[in-house]
Amino acid sequence: MDEKNDFTPSILYGLCNWCGTGGSETAGALHLQYAENIRPFRVPCTGAIDPVYILRALIEGADGFAVSGCHPGDCHFDQGNYRARRRVAVLKTLLDTFGLDTERVWLRWVGHGEGKRFADTVNEFNDHIKNMGKNPLSQRRDT
Amino acid sequence: MQTLFDSRMTMADFIAALFDKLEVAGVAAITKLPSGEKTAYTLLADKDDIEDCVPYFPAMPANAARAVSKLTREAPPSKQVAVFLRPCELRALTELVKIKQALLDNLFIISFDCAGVFPFQEISLSDEAKLKAYRDAVADGKNCEGIRPVCNACTRFVPEGADIAISFIGRGLDEPLALSFPSEKGKEAAKILGLDSSDNVETSPALETLAEARKKAEGELTKKIEETLAGTDGLISVFDKCISCHACSYACPICYCKNCYFDSQTFEYFPESYFARMGEKGALRLPVDRVLFHLGRLSHMSLSCVACGMCEDVCPVNIPVAQIFKTAGTRAQALFDYIPGKNPDEPLPLLTYAETELEEFED
Repeated sequence: MDEKNDFTPSILYGLCNWCGTGGSETAGALHLQYAENIRPFRVPCTGAIDPVYILRALIEGADGFAVSGCHPGDCHFDQGNYRARRRVAVLKTLLDTFGLDTERVWLRWVGHGEGKRFADTVNEFNDHIKNMGKNPLSQRRDT
Repeated sequence: MQTLFDSRMTMADFIAALFDKLEVAGVAAITKLPSGEKTAYTLLADKDDIEDCVPYFPAMPANAARAVSKLTREAPPSKQVAVFLRPCELRALTELVKIKQALLDNLFIISFDCAGVFPFQEISLSDEAKLKAYRDAVADGKNCEGIRPVCNACTRFVPEGADIAISFIGRGLDEPLALSFPSEKGKEAAKILGLDSSDNVETSPALETLAEARKKAEGELTKKIEETLAGTDGLISVFDKCISCHACSYACPICYCKNCYFDSQTFEYFPESYFARMGEKGALRLPVDRVLFHLGRLSHMSLSCVACGMCEDVCPVNIPVAQIFKTAGTRAQALFDYIPGKNPDEPLPLLTYAETELEEFED
């Protein structure tokens, strides 16, 4: 294992109340294993995730931030996930303007029954962040 | 391009005509202050103060859209009020109308093609050399030296959506006013002012030349800012001087929230929180959340940023805030082909969506 991969990334995973967390429950019911270093948290809807939460996590110590919610068309509130997609697009564009890693933020739809997709997403994102290495922004003391 | 009419009126005649012929109850414009040095955006009630009224004076003491928002937010004025707005101020006002912070009823909007303004601290009524250079630059349709960097790189300097638009560039500030009347309300006014096709004049070719110069300057500004910002080091060093005064957000016409999220209780922490953060990093710069404030503010308002430059004017430590916000804002707006303030009927991008779009941002 090279030096870059030799760390346990700190990862936050914002899950919507209806589908994202449902996916994690299904993964649990199916006894699927996934990386233990992610910190999932529940939000009412992906549309409720203000980009400031993501920015704050990335500045204060997170190496990656993933967001999962209902597939387009399935939002419990009809349009929350469409709005989340626009917010994430703006956030990633801003990060790109500032020369920061846009790939530290992932948006992936996970349905209630998609336990495997949930576990796969966690593992894939974990490996992806391990490959990217530590988040340089979160290491800074002078933000 | 709108048809341009030679009004044969000076600015004072024009303002008098607003009161006498168009029967407005007030005129809001940049006006000389009694000190004789500075100017302020002022609401005038009658013709007596016309001589002090200098709508084109190259300073922006505050983004006038904020003033108009205050004037109209609770209820539309009962009488017609004429408001002079620079093109960026007009765009800001349109954005404020979209977020229900201003009303256009009973407003008579007058705008003009804008040659830019000097940093507010650096221009006074007595700066004759600077003002002469500015007058010459307007008459020649060139960028004046010393105007703010975002003005120098502003490509949307011709007003959109005004009732009456005055054309200065290529003609000069002291020539009789050349007017165009883009709106229905404006066309009515043209009839009342007695202007018809016999008064038509040509649009100055200087507008095109200036537009090209501005476009070039915009490219240079974007390149410079992107180089300055590049990566974590660039980002942090550019905001290194920030003292977290949040003046940029108070001066911003788009940041209308009375209780800004970044001034809220969310950002008041218990000592344990500071210790925890200090422990993680070994040291913690105070006050905290400086970079978060700027990035977060961008995530909230960049889609509506009209690049008016007020944030940079008020920054006490000279961070190029407006240049950064213009650069980042333009990128974000391009995602949705959105031009803030251009079309009052176009919803804000974050308040609408399409079912199939932006799939490249999904992972």
